[in-house]
Amino acid sequence: MNKWIKIALRNILKNRRRSFVTLLAIAMGFAAVSLFRGYIHNTYQGLRQSAIRGEGLGHLTIYKKGWLEKGKIDPDRYMFSQEEIQGIIDIVEDDDDVILATPQIHISGLVSNGNISTIFLAKGVKPSDDKTIKGAWAALRPVKGDALGKKKPYGVEMAEDLARHLNLKPGMDGVVMATTLDGQMNALDIEVAGIYDTGSDATNDKYMRFPFAYAQSLYDTEKADRLAVLLDSWEKTERARNRLLSTLSKAGLQCEIKTWNELSLFYSKVKGMFDMIFMFIFSIVFIIVVMSVVNTMGMAVLERTREIGTLRAFGLKRRGVSLLFAIEGALLGFLGSILGLVLNIVVWAVIRAIEPSYIPPGVSTPVPLIVNLVPQTLLNLMVFLILLSLVAAILPARRAASLNVVDALGHV
Amino acid sequence: MLLAEMIDIKKDYFLGETVVHALRGVDLMIDKGEFIAIWGPSGSGKTTLLNLIGAIDEPSSGQLFLEGQEVKRLSDNKRTELRNRSIGFIFQGFNLIPVLSALENVMLPLEIRGTSSSEARDKALSRLDEVDVSDFFRHRPDKLSGGQQQRVAIARALVTNPSLVIADEPTANLDTGTSKKIIGIMRDLNEKEKTTFIFSTHDQRLLGQVERLIRLEDGKIVDGGGKK
Repeated sequence: MNKWIKIALRNILKNRRRSFVTLLAIAMGFAAVSLFRGYIHNTYQGLRQSAIRGEGLGHLTIYKKGWLEKGKIDPDRYMFSQEEIQGIIDIVEDDDDVILATPQIHISGLVSNGNISTIFLAKGVKPSDDKTIKGAWAALRPVKGDALGKKKPYGVEMAEDLARHLNLKPGMDGVVMATTLDGQMNALDIEVAGIYDTGSDATNDKYMRFPFAYAQSLYDTEKADRLAVLLDSWEKTERARNRLLSTLSKAGLQCEIKTWNELSLFYSKVKGMFDMIFMFIFSIVFIIVVMSVVNTMGMAVLERTREIGTLRAFGLKRRGVSLLFAIEGALLGFLGSILGLVLNIVVWAVIRAIEPSYIPPGVSTPVPLIVNLVPQTLLNLMVFLILLSLVAAILPARRAASLNVVDALGHV
Repeated sequence: MLLAEMIDIKKDYFLGETVVHALRGVDLMIDKGEFIAIWGPSGSGKTTLLNLIGAIDEPSSGQLFLEGQEVKRLSDNKRTELRNRSIGFIFQGFNLIPVLSALENVMLPLEIRGTSSSEARDKALSRLDEVDVSDFFRHRPDKLSGGQQQRVAIARALVTNPSLVIADEPTANLDTGTSKKIIGIMRDLNEKEKTTFIFSTHDQRLLGQVERLIRLEDGKIVDGGGKK
């Protein structure tokens, strides 16, 4: 086998210019795909953290069965009672993969500074649990002023643009109004404890976070419409959902569980778009690599027809000839991938050094352009390109193997 | 002892709608250890005859036996194994693999067979020494003269200890002095190792060194077809 690798390698080196062009095509393809993959890997990572930690969705959200379909029409019926909340928390937190389960309530209404009013959407959360869910993410989007806490039971966090529209600053008061579950109008005082950036233009002018008990009192209920569940790893999401659904069902609690990616519409849409772009780039690279290798190996077969005839005359079987050219194709893939890897690392280092940033559509603040180096992706891509080059070489290799020995020897 | 036998061999080539009768019924018997030259004018069928004996081509009709096996009945793989085991080739254009050194070229038929590298290397060095080019074993073909390349090609043809060596115009690209030396080397190896050599030539000056001459004309043996 070493002999054939040696022959293949020397033939690649012999035709330096042609081999270099093919290697460059493979390397550029490798670098383009791996850099884009590294970029979307970082983006998915950021969006995942943004959904789970930033939006406070946790990994799983538990609803009473029917809430998602009929909750808007008859909310009281499809909300969890105090006993149900405690029962679910006891069961869920007993699971080894679960860090915490916390009740939440989503509300909407009008918020006023005394002069003007506008609509708001708010989430009632337990401050300590919310802090746990946010974790290190809290440092990325810090609250200006005070965060939710027990010290101010009516202190709320208000999104940046909403606070600006209402001309409210931390420490200032306002009023929120909403319809209770019984259909009565209710109004409560608030103090803007802190102001935060949701990260999205679409939500920055209407979001607020309330202490859980305060949100309940605005809706005049002791119930919660959902429980957020935080796991120790996002990769366990799907398995944990199935397991918890089964456990809750056995305990007589009929629930529905949604995962963070099902609830984060933004994540799903961005992922769908990036996956499509990735497939587009990947398809182009696929075609370029296949055409380059087929062309190079086709030329090699043409130029070395007499050599093939000689090898066949001396006893190399047809599959041996195929193997020789297949090895050459695979070597082109391997060397091209190595060159691509070097190119990838150089571009990665340049990006790290100059730290470019950009504002994506719908996002309120600039985000840094970061490309991750993902060893598994790089390895997978390398193996794929080697196999692709090998397969692309098979067609010319088969043609070489099928040559009649006398015709091959007589080839000029 | 009979090595090869041809019975009423015919070979036709098709050039568009034209049929070229390259061989028109050849009967030939070759014994082990013979040193044979096939000669005749261009287009007489010398190369076609050698290709058939070398099992790299098939006759249109007739029977060809090599070491007692009818070549036509062998699969491509079996025929390839037969060539590797029993036949060595020396080509007019030397046909050395350009990316391999002289030594690696000679090792190649053994490595195709699956012989270990160390054993192949020892045998190849020994053969290169026999044809007097061992000093150039590291050189690639493009760094060797025509005569040196043909010596390497002879070493390559002999490295597997074949029972038959086929040489198609082995001296066509060489000057007269080198040609005589090459034929001399082949003759020495034939006498020393009893390897059968059969080569084609149209150079009548070389024919004096040959013990059996087969003359071909228009695809037929006109002289030397029968046994000595």
